[in-house]
Amino acid sequence: MSSAAIIGVGQSAYTRRPAPGQSTHTFIRDAVVAALEDAELDARDVQGMAVASFSLAPDTAVDLAWKLGLSLRWLLQDTNGGSSAMNMLGHALRGVEAGAAEVILVVGGDATGLAGYGKIASNYNIATRDHLAPLGHGGPNGVYALVAWRQMKTYGLEKSDYGRLAIAQRGWAAKNPFAVYRAPLTMEEYLAAPMVADPLSRYDCVPVVAGAQAIVIANPDRAPRGRAPVRVRAHRASFNYDNQEGDGLHTGISTFAADLWKAAGVAPGDIDLASIYDDYPTMVLAQLDDLGMIADHDLARFCRRDVGERRFPLNTWGGMMSAGQPGGPAGGLNGIAEAVLQLQRRAGERQVANARLAVATGYGMTMYRYGGTAAAAILERVG
Amino acid sequence: MNTGVVIWRCSGCGAAVFPQRLLCAHCHGQDFAEDRVTEGVVEEISVIRHMIGQASWQPRRIANVRTTGGPSITVGLRDESGPGTVVELFQEEGAPYGRAKGG
Repeated sequence: MSSAAIIGVGQSAYTRRPAPGQSTHTFIRDAVVAALEDAELDARDVQGMAVASFSLAPDTAVDLAWKLGLSLRWLLQDTNGGSSAMNMLGHALRGVEAGAAEVILVVGGDATGLAGYGKIASNYNIATRDHLAPLGHGGPNGVYALVAWRQMKTYGLEKSDYGRLAIAQRGWAAKNPFAVYRAPLTMEEYLAAPMVADPLSRYDCVPVVAGAQAIVIANPDRAPRGRAPVRVRAHRASFNYDNQEGDGLHTGISTFAADLWKAAGVAPGDIDLASIYDDYPTMVLAQLDDLGMIADHDLARFCRRDVGERRFPLNTWGGMMSAGQPGGPAGGLNGIAEAVLQLQRRAGERQVANARLAVATGYGMTMYRYGGTAAAAILERVG
Repeated sequence: MNTGVVIWRCSGCGAAVFPQRLLCAHCHGQDFAEDRVTEGVVEEISVIRHMIGQASWQPRRIANVRTTGGPSITVGLRDESGPGTVVELFQEEGAPYGRAKGG
């Protein structure tokens, strides 16, 4: 078995409104070029590719390989939405470790436009098309609005607690030149924002953008000279963990968290920063709680103290809520890429001092009442 | 409009599901019988005030309803019912709706 690490990251520009001529494909190209340049590799070095996108069709992964001029011996297309990135990471690591490919490019991107996203949200699966969209359920906003009410009731959360997450992430986004929203956000502005799907208001709902993100997986020896590769100490995933029979306040992470930490040989308290998939603040809290990173399951105290007082570096690129969500797949890759930049001490103004260990998650595929896929990894700086 | 909402009940273990499944998640039996839930209790409500990609949108209400004898389902609310209200359920073209019982 070979060993595998993340040796490069790259992203396209993000924009709320793509210009004429820009498409999912061109954003993906831009991310691929940036990631290969970052890894100091040539396109001819790439032997494998994993891709996830809601708007690549009718093209598939092999069409993308064709258009990128990549002749491959390992190819994957993933359909797990917000946990696609983490899922592809796991497969790519194993692909390199098994010798199936020496260098694997993992990429996600979307440029649906707002109207296109609306169509995707209404036709997400058969259950959504037949039983939710006819109600005017508002896409995932409506689904997670109901989950948010349950979470607020169960844990004694106030609306302002979600605001603390949004405001803290906006503070990080101010230091991220790629973020689409960088202006400071105050609690007054957060609370005065128009309601989208009660209790979720504008700043609780992830802004859809066009863009793409890529990472490069290879043997750590392939990392650019002088740069620490990032290895994955443990990786776990879950699919359809409860048949949609629960309340959505826990995620599939709850099924593997103990095993993840055990396999990684570290504990939640050892983690220096977290990239938690943030389509909604509600689900950030649910994932962190499932990971065992919220003391006493006291979500309100975590929001008010750990986040409100900036005690814990969470979603340090601004998260999707401020940087933008270029589709779920690329959104998940953002969190992984940010963890890599932090662990390689390349995060610029937002650098977390002495970062050595990070946790990153993915969560997605709103099947009916909440998401059905989740995955997480513990990332470590090598050297 | 059809009174009640069609659900499916596993012929092997009696588990009730909505939407329809292929195998029962509990006993993995493949036989289901149609059943109908006619009422439930509203647990959470949201008002959908904006729909991405839609310029003209009229707010509408959706709710999580714990059905009597069946699963929790998401319904469209056709009145101002609040949490705790017992609603009667009905179905239009496969989509479930509710309104206050006797309202």
